[in-house]
Amino acid sequence: MPKPTKGPRLGGGPAHERLLLANLAAALFTHKSIKTTETKAKRLRPIAERLITFAKRGDIHARRRVLGVIGDKTVVHELFTQIAPLVAEREGGYTRITKLGFRKGDNASMVQMELVLEPVTAKAKRSTTSKNTTPTAAAAAPAEADTETADADVTDTDSTSTESTDTETTGAATAETPAAPAADDAPGAPADVDPTTDSDTTSADVDSTPEADTTK
Amino acid sequence: MAVPKRKMSRASTRMRRAQWKATPPTLVKTVENGKTTYSLPHRAKVVEDSTGDPMYMEYKGRKVADV
Repeated sequence: MPKPTKGPRLGGGPAHERLLLANLAAALFTHKSIKTTETKAKRLRPIAERLITFAKRGDIHARRRVLGVIGDKTVVHELFTQIAPLVAEREGGYTRITKLGFRKGDNASMVQMELVLEPVTAKAKRSTTSKNTTPTAAAAAPAEADTETADADVTDTDSTSTESTDTETTGAATAETPAAPAADDAPGAPADVDPTTDSDTTSADVDSTPEADTTK
Repeated sequence: MAVPKRKMSRASTRMRRAQWKATPPTLVKTVENGKTTYSLPHRAKVVEDSTGDPMYMEYKGRKVADV
């Protein structure tokens, strides 16, 4: 249950806020990623995730309740048939808000709000069973270690260190991977663009599946 | 319309003005390719190509938005 918002409504009043957030939710489901202000995104998050929960339920009653918020039937159909199967395994947290910067003019904090359509990763398995933790973590660590060693080689050529220290630096880099997984290195960027394209292809694959599978 | 009755003293004017203070922003230091850059925490950064033109915005090694 979303927490009731305190303070003034967005827009001119309660009705204006309802319409505004419904339109924002429709835009989010249409484009999968929207740029908006931080305040609007934080108000939209519980509403959008609630609508996705209805979509995962998938029956006609849930569809009519979503249609009470979003009037556009094409958007609701896309939500129920395309977005809901992609987040079927995900237990909440269907949206991601990334802060971008401040808008010129009113200095409002702008964010990119997107649907989390990637497949659920190993972090969820860690909470369920402890046995699966070590293989998945071990499988994830070499993948990160490869990228880190590649980065370490680049830095080694710059620093002109000896070969004996190269092994030490790579070992240190692998040890640092859990501590600093999100280095803003340029080599990491193109490698991470690929999963998004993969998710797009998976979404295209899911489109071909009939709706009867999604209702289960 | 309400208007001030007395001239505001120099002391009270200065006391009012002294209350406005600028606070330094909290920045994070990152060393990238030997260059030290300061940036706001938890915000996407603009990625530039070799000529300095902005390409896209990334956060935690992931492309999040176009510029």
